[in-house]
Amino acid sequence: MLNAGAAEPRGMDLWQLLFTLALICANDSLPTSEVPLGEPQIVKCRSPEMETFSCHWTDGDVHNHTAPRTMQLLYMKRGDEEWKECPDYVTAGENSCYFNTSYTSVWIPYCVKLANENKVFDEKCFSVDEIVLPDPPINLNWTLLNISLTGIHVDIQVRWEPPPTADVRKGWVTLEYELQYKEVNETKWKELEPVCSTTVPLYSLKMGRDYEIRIRSRQRTSEKFGEFSETLSVSFSMASEAVLCAEEIQFPWLFIVIFGTCGLVVVMFLILFSKQRLKMLILPPIPAPKIKGIDPDLLKKGKLEEVNSILASHDSYKPQLYNDDLWVEFIELDIDDPDEKTEGSDTDRLLSDAHMKSHSCLGVKDDDSGRASCCEPDMPETDFSASDTCDGTSDTDQSKKISEKEETLLCLDQKDNNKSFTNLDDPANQQLISQSEDNQSRPPFADSIESLSPVPPVRTQLSNQSSVTNIDFYAQVSDITPAGSVVLSPGQKNKTGRAQCEAHTEPAAQCQSNFTMDNAYFCEADVKKCIAVTSHEEVEPHVQDQSFNEDTYFTTESLTTTAVNPSTAAEEASSSEMPVPDYTSIHIVHSPQGLVLNATALPVPDKEFMVSCGYVSTDQLNKIMP
Amino acid sequence: MITTMNNKGASLKGVLLVFLLISNMFLTKKSVTSLPICPSGSVNCQVSLGELFDRAVKLSHYIHFLSSEMFNEFDERYAQGRGFITKAVNGCHTASLTTPEDKEQAQQIHHEDLLNLVLGVLRSWNDPLLHLVTEVQRIKEAPNTILWKAAEIEEQNKRLLEGMEKIVGRVQPGDTGNEVYSRWSGLPSLQLADEDSRLFAFYNLLHCLRRDSHKIDNYLKLLKCRLIHDSNC
Repeated sequence: MLNAGAAEPRGMDLWQLLFTLALICANDSLPTSEVPLGEPQIVKCRSPEMETFSCHWTDGDVHNHTAPRTMQLLYMKRGDEEWKECPDYVTAGENSCYFNTSYTSVWIPYCVKLANENKVFDEKCFSVDEIVLPDPPINLNWTLLNISLTGIHVDIQVRWEPPPTADVRKGWVTLEYELQYKEVNETKWKELEPVCSTTVPLYSLKMGRDYEIRIRSRQRTSEKFGEFSETLSVSFSMASEAVLCAEEIQFPWLFIVIFGTCGLVVVMFLILFSKQRLKMLILPPIPAPKIKGIDPDLLKKGKLEEVNSILASHDSYKPQLYNDDLWVEFIELDIDDPDEKTEGSDTDRLLSDAHMKSHSCLGVKDDDSGRASCCEPDMPETDFSASDTCDGTSDTDQSKKISEKEETLLCLDQKDNNKSFTNLDDPANQQLISQSEDNQSRPPFADSIESLSPVPPVRTQLSNQSSVTNIDFYAQVSDITPAGSVVLSPGQKNKTGRAQCEAHTEPAAQCQSNFTMDNAYFCEADVKKCIAVTSHEEVEPHVQDQSFNEDTYFTTESLTTTAVNPSTAAEEASSSEMPVPDYTSIHIVHSPQGLVLNATALPVPDKEFMVSCGYVSTDQLNKIMP
Repeated sequence: MITTMNNKGASLKGVLLVFLLISNMFLTKKSVTSLPICPSGSVNCQVSLGELFDRAVKLSHYIHFLSSEMFNEFDERYAQGRGFITKAVNGCHTASLTTPEDKEQAQQIHHEDLLNLVLGVLRSWNDPLLHLVTEVQRIKEAPNTILWKAAEIEEQNKRLLEGMEKIVGRVQPGDTGNEVYSRWSGLPSLQLADEDSRLFAFYNLLHCLRRDSHKIDNYLKLLKCRLIHDSNC
């Protein structure tokens, strides 16, 4: 049904609404019929306490009435048969009719009409409970609740009494009240929510101002309020002389400036000093031992290759393990042998370069070390207190070492040049060359050469080498055994060098003298290398490959034995153990041109390694090699 | 497994509890009075008479408030221009109950009689309210507010009746008295075919409802002040 109803056009509703609005506007308190203007009309009927009521009317335009006003108000209660006249025209004032309690029945419909003899002007129907408009409250007063700490605001409690006419005590009428207040110079009243009690607090009134308060009441179940009470004046201005604060809190410019500045400073501080820098400033970090670019995990995992490669890329890598001269030195050192033309190999080139340099100076050209400068004319021939063992780290002068290295180089060079010594220790030679910064390799070599006077048999294999004349300073170390010995790969060119060297007594001397070097690198192995060089017979041509060759496998032990007994060393050498004059652990040998030395990632701890044999870092190696 | 089951049980209980609380909130949302402290049927539990009266007054006030609003809405929407206003309002069906018409009469009547009268009026409105709810829905385009109010009034009236019966049981135990109430026979008029007549019937009914709810509200306040506050509200 409803849905069907909803489908109807809304025009009728709109018309009704408009009409209703018109009626409402026209009608004040009671629904009335339309009365033409100028006619007398009942203005309102009101009961203040639901015990009596009164009706008021207007005369309207007097001029129209020729006859004197004989207006009557007639009323009829439901149940009456006829209209009765107003019982009291006086009490409620002019043009009014007052019905006292005896005439008033509450929930009974009344109709009143205004008429004179002939004509009915107006008529209203109502019941008394609908027209209740209470009298205003009386006896308004206020008390001080408290004053704020700043002395600017005040709280007060306003009290009043219900209108005397309304019997609230018996509960016949239940009232609620609405309070309004404003400052004296304001026009708009502020309202509070209606309350049922006869007291209400007012908060945050301002000291130094004057206020006005008024209250009105209504019956709780109706909508319309009665008249307002008399206005209560509340004045605080007289108490204000002591409280001469600014009434309004001025915009706190000072606070804003101060806090703004502080905030800006903080922000600037934060921006300028990023968290990192701040942290650095306050808590400077203790640098952990670290090699740039090297992940410690790599080391742990034993990825030697990667570490080596990383190391290789670090030019600035300073091996702290060995504190000795760069091995580079002895490459640059060169032989002024003109025959020493390097052909294809990098080592040759290196050698040539070194040769150039060494021509002018036997000193080591060492970039990054503060080692002994070049041009040490003195050959440390005096220092022949080299021991055969690696253990000792004599305090030989570094310069001596350098020179020794140089001479060894020279020695090697010469050998290379001269030669066709396909001599053995290519690996040995190579390793000698490639080895550590300490050129202790040289001395051992020299020693070995010296001690092994017999010229080692020519290495046929060496002849296979393309560049017999070339000196290979490196030996490829394939691996380092757990025992500490170094596994070398056969070098490609070192054999000749070695052979040549052997031939020289001087280098031999060097070799020996080198033993005096206090480098840990001076180990038995070195010695053996020297020795073994001479005695080594077999040689494997392939150098650069990182291939393990039994022939090239050197052990410390073998070298030691060799040192002890040159002869035996020779035998041993022939037994496929090639003494290594000097070596370092070489991790990778990429090409004929280069070796990547195993600088750090060795199974042997550094110290041990030093003890066993020093080694050259890849950095050094890379410097050497193009 | 067991722990998960226990957890599930605990969580289920929690959910159930929350659900109950929320449903309780919603159910009592529109109610004016709070839920009784004593569950019905409980013997030992005693709510004070004053508390009972407070609740009754609140309910009666609420019912009158709703009735007034509903009448005003209906008046605005349907009664304008139809001349309902000028017609003398027909007597309400509760006119047979002689209720005090002014303050003196109300003060003179005995409170028990007054209570019984109140009960009578409330009972008299049970039936009409029920039908009002159903019939008002048949009015063309009846707004939802009117429909809702009718239903609400009907519900609250039942509650008030229960409360009043409790009060009467306290005030005059054992005296059941006559169950006086007025029968309502206005249903046919609510179902008239003629829309004008039908709407006039509704208008009348709503007018009577407003008046009677005001009566009840007033009587209860009077009784409360007299009995509880000793005429010193």
